[in-house]
Amino acid sequence: MSLFIDFGYTSLNHFGEELCGDKVEYAKNNDYVTLVLADGLGSGVKANILSTLTSKILCTMVSNNVSINECLETMVASLPVCKERGVAYSTFTVVHINHEGKGFLFEFDNPQAIYIHDGKCLDLERKKITVSGKDVYQSDLNLKDNDFIVTMSDGAIHAGIGATLNFGWEREDIKKYLESVYDKNMSAKAIACSLAKSCNDLYLDKPGDDTTIAAIKIRKSLRVHIMVGPPVDKSKDEYYISRFLKDADKTIVCGGTSSTIVARYLNKPIEVDLTYLDSDVPPMGKIEGIDLVTEGVLTLRKLLELSEEYLSIVDLSPKIFIKKDGATRLADMLFIEASDVDFYVGQSINAAHQGLPIDITMKLKLVESLANNLKKMGKNVTLNYD
Amino acid sequence: MVKVTVCIGSSCHLKGSRQVVEELQYLIKENNVGDEVNLAGAFCMGKCQEKGVNVTVDGQHYSILPEEVKQFFNDKILTKIK
Repeated sequence: MSLFIDFGYTSLNHFGEELCGDKVEYAKNNDYVTLVLADGLGSGVKANILSTLTSKILCTMVSNNVSINECLETMVASLPVCKERGVAYSTFTVVHINHEGKGFLFEFDNPQAIYIHDGKCLDLERKKITVSGKDVYQSDLNLKDNDFIVTMSDGAIHAGIGATLNFGWEREDIKKYLESVYDKNMSAKAIACSLAKSCNDLYLDKPGDDTTIAAIKIRKSLRVHIMVGPPVDKSKDEYYISRFLKDADKTIVCGGTSSTIVARYLNKPIEVDLTYLDSDVPPMGKIEGIDLVTEGVLTLRKLLELSEEYLSIVDLSPKIFIKKDGATRLADMLFIEASDVDFYVGQSINAAHQGLPIDITMKLKLVESLANNLKKMGKNVTLNYD
Repeated sequence: MVKVTVCIGSSCHLKGSRQVVEELQYLIKENNVGDEVNLAGAFCMGKCQEKGVNVTVDGQHYSILPEEVKQFFNDKILTKIK
């Protein structure tokens, strides 16, 4: 069975540095997803260059099925040697996995990855191999629905050293922490962000080392269809709506006119709940048979803001959506639940909206930006303009 | 029972439907007429060009600004009850 591969990461910069010395690269190639977390020697610009080169080289080569030996040889030959320290050095963790949850993991000098299965943190079995004089550990992966792999740079296990903790945050304690926050519905990003936030707390907001947490989660696919705006050709409403409702695991309708058309097609009333759960977001509607009914442009604008925040690699706010207003409910359904998102964008112009900050150009722009952000989250997105 | 529907579509939202809804909810409570007024919301009524927020009272259409709500409530809603 084909599963969905969800990933996400969060970085803390060494206190006072503008650049992070850790770098995460991600690539999709055919059936495989490759994620590389590299940590360059030192901090700041130098570390950033080392980790950028390492992650980019490894990610590109591994995703194209080049053997690990060749990858490492290329890497060693390419990395610039540090003038002061006389070495070229960057640690790395590589996860290469397909849609059946099978693949492998390579680790070099990063803290050992944590495997979460059924809410329990486990260690993967690893085998030492020596490549180009480096000891690299290899593990075979066979992940099941809702399994996570959490990888981290050493900033995580050093969190709090000399400040809040004597010896930093030991890996065993990190495992306990992950078990305590684990919920099987959390996204990879949510797990990564939550762990990074705790590291930041232990560092008392002043990380003594670049810290990056990158997570991968394997789960079942879920296809969401979202209708935004009524189609231009009114005579074909029925065709458009039947296509919108077909083959979707969940359906969302955004916009007043669109809701009216869908309700008419389904022969059901629209109920509107007058509770204002957020002052910026208009209330939601309810149509039997549709999972979510919201207002259009204003809700989407708020959703776009939420998506920027969700994608930010430095934002530490929790990546779970608990509030019940229209935009937050959309975020939960699209960012967390969905694996595939199909937009059905109607381009009919609402004459009454022209000249207001809610007109059609605004709507199309919002949809486009939103679709791009969903792609950055790893979702499979299609846009259908009617 | 008087049925009052307030449009909460995008355009009316920008014109202040939230204030209208909240003030109506407050006035209904203050006048103790919760059993006689059924306040509901509706998506776009197709009259976005009106100057204010679209509201219907038993099907009769009005366009009101947030600052006119109290007057509107006294004139068009309370009179229907008494």
